[in-house]
Amino acid sequence: MTSSTILSYVTFIYFTGFTLYLLMMVMGKKSFGTAATFVSLAGLVAHSAAIVLRWMESYQLGIGHAPLSNLYESLIFFSWTVTLFYLVVEWRTKNRVLGAFVMPISSLALAYASFSPSVNSRIQPLVPALKSNWLIAHVITCFFSYAAFALSFALSIIYLIKLKNQGAGRAGSFLNRIPDSRVLDELNYQIVIIGFLMLTLGIITGSVWAHSAWGTYWGWDPKETWSLITWLIYASVIHARIARGWEGKRIAVLCIVGFACVIFTYFGVNYLAGLHSYAKS
Amino acid sequence: MNATINHGTSKKSGLGIFWRFFSSVKLTIALLVILAAVSVIGTLIPQREGAIDFAMGMNPRLFQVFMSLNLFDIYHSLLFRIILGFLVMNLVVCSIDRFPVTWKLFSYIPSPDKSRIFQDIPTEQTCILSGNSKHILNRIEEFLHKRYGKVFSKKGDKYSSFFVQTGRFSRFGVYIVHFSILLILAGGLVGSLFGFEGYVNIVESDKTDKIHVRGSRQQKNLGFEIRCDRFTVSYYKSGMPKEYKSEITFIVNGKDVKKGTLLVNHPLHFRGITFYQASYGTIPGKKIILRAVMNGKSFSFPVSLQKSVPLPGNGGELLLEDIRDNLVGIGPAVLISILPRHGEKISMWIFKNPALAKSRLPEPMLKSPKFNPSAFRPYTFFLEGVDTVYYTGLQVSKDPGVPIVWAGCVILVTGLFITFFMSHRRIWIRAENHKSGVRVRVAGMANRDPVGLRRHLLKLTDDLRKHVL
Repeated sequence: MTSSTILSYVTFIYFTGFTLYLLMMVMGKKSFGTAATFVSLAGLVAHSAAIVLRWMESYQLGIGHAPLSNLYESLIFFSWTVTLFYLVVEWRTKNRVLGAFVMPISSLALAYASFSPSVNSRIQPLVPALKSNWLIAHVITCFFSYAAFALSFALSIIYLIKLKNQGAGRAGSFLNRIPDSRVLDELNYQIVIIGFLMLTLGIITGSVWAHSAWGTYWGWDPKETWSLITWLIYASVIHARIARGWEGKRIAVLCIVGFACVIFTYFGVNYLAGLHSYAKS
Repeated sequence: MNATINHGTSKKSGLGIFWRFFSSVKLTIALLVILAAVSVIGTLIPQREGAIDFAMGMNPRLFQVFMSLNLFDIYHSLLFRIILGFLVMNLVVCSIDRFPVTWKLFSYIPSPDKSRIFQDIPTEQTCILSGNSKHILNRIEEFLHKRYGKVFSKKGDKYSSFFVQTGRFSRFGVYIVHFSILLILAGGLVGSLFGFEGYVNIVESDKTDKIHVRGSRQQKNLGFEIRCDRFTVSYYKSGMPKEYKSEITFIVNGKDVKKGTLLVNHPLHFRGITFYQASYGTIPGKKIILRAVMNGKSFSFPVSLQKSVPLPGNGGELLLEDIRDNLVGIGPAVLISILPRHGEKISMWIFKNPALAKSRLPEPMLKSPKFNPSAFRPYTFFLEGVDTVYYTGLQVSKDPGVPIVWAGCVILVTGLFITFFMSHRRIWIRAENHKSGVRVRVAGMANRDPVGLRRHLLKLTDDLRKHVL
């Protein structure tokens, strides 16, 4: 079995995990939650195995490189970091509510990678510029930050849902299983901090790499610029929180804006670059 | 914050207003968002070299507006620099403004004897140590000294109090982060003032001492020469380049001083200037293969640029005057001159693709002997091939700001770690006589991370129980 086949199965495993988390929330049965965790964990194990397998496959093809070099591989890695990060948070906080909001992100990223005709899953050789250890450090740090921001996005959505329905207070609804808004807010902030630190490291390692490959550590190319924009947005979140004491709704909204920037840095920039090359021809 | 009072409200002078404006965190947030917004504009409008085509299709009036605002080079525009200047000012003023308070928090030693802090502490933060109370007190102090350094204590008849702290340096984490941002910006400024960025293409076995400076039409003299001794490129099966490298020699006053191999991601440094393998390509070389057809006989022979060869059949001399990669859009062409044994010199352009030339060139040109490959009878000339040679494309840059930027990056990451993951924990310990021993209670305060503090206090209580016996 090739790594791509395993990964397309993992898509469904994650989807199953998501369904179970959702059932746990709606039905309020703990057994669904336990099952959801096990299914997601099993998916993560298979996912990790597939990444290692893909790495080995690339060596068998004689072009051995870490599976972090194109859109397909980055989506696979993104999905992996999101799931890993989520399961760590679930284990640390002993709360499964986030699962129903995070697992769809993991599943969607994998589905896009596996089933979109525009994403090429072939193992391709590296162009000379990508042959650098800084690239590996750069991709890993960036994707851990993306994963953290994805989690922060999910937490902010939950926060806003909870806030909107606070007055209603229907007994027995799944809203009661969502942790207290203060807890959500604090957890969100902790995760944003980790994401911010990782993004900082990601931008720095990217600069070091660009400096050795192209002779300039900062070139204002759209992807670089958008990563800076994302960094600025989260920097303002942190300032608003630490120095101005912002909490709750405003922080949640800013975190959603921040994640929109992350998504644009990841996907939208390709569209921008496309516009540019279109304008040139 | 409290310190604002010292400067802000004391006077309504110009300085007071200035200070209040720049010491505001609202301003910081606004500037971060504005900086982000302006950066977005720069990714929507093509910048610098990329802007030329975009600008050509624009309304001239709109173009004037764009030019006056420097929107085609927004990251180097006055507007962008003003925003950065404000941010720097904001950072510096905020830091100075808040420093006295931080210094106080850093250096202030509270009384070891506090009562209120021990109210409502969980039972896990209490332990009873049995034995001689004097001995136990000494052991506690020893233990605290070993773990925390300086111990502040106050001994009494009924109970004794101790105060220790850890991580108080983390109060300066924020200043470290902000200093590093200033350092990175300073590095960028140094680079733009004292550095340059350029490129040069060197043909294999050729040398040069001049490079093109990016963003201007000027050439720059390096003060030494670079020679490309050899250029090699290898490909994957798919035809994608796998690796390309140049063997480079640096020459000073005609002497070879340094040799090195230049690869992508592996630059070479010489005299403060860094050379990067950026691109490569081919250009026509100095040699061609010409075919002459004469009375049904065909001869192929090589000719070098600016060299002459005897014509086959002894019709005279042939001189290769010029080689063009792409003449008037018809592709490779060469200019040859025939010096016949008798008569005048005849020059003509020979195209690689005569059929295309015939269809593209206008009628009068085709009639002129200059474009007629059969102008010198009885010969007809054909261009068989032009030798191509590789050139290596080097990015050449000097940026004395780079070490400053890297130092800033290291300090930034260190500062972020200190700010986010360390906290100033203040710990009070009270030991009071209790039956056959001493009851020890542990309490604390921290500027962040209450969960970490609680874990710390529990571990401390546990360790006191284990080690102080």
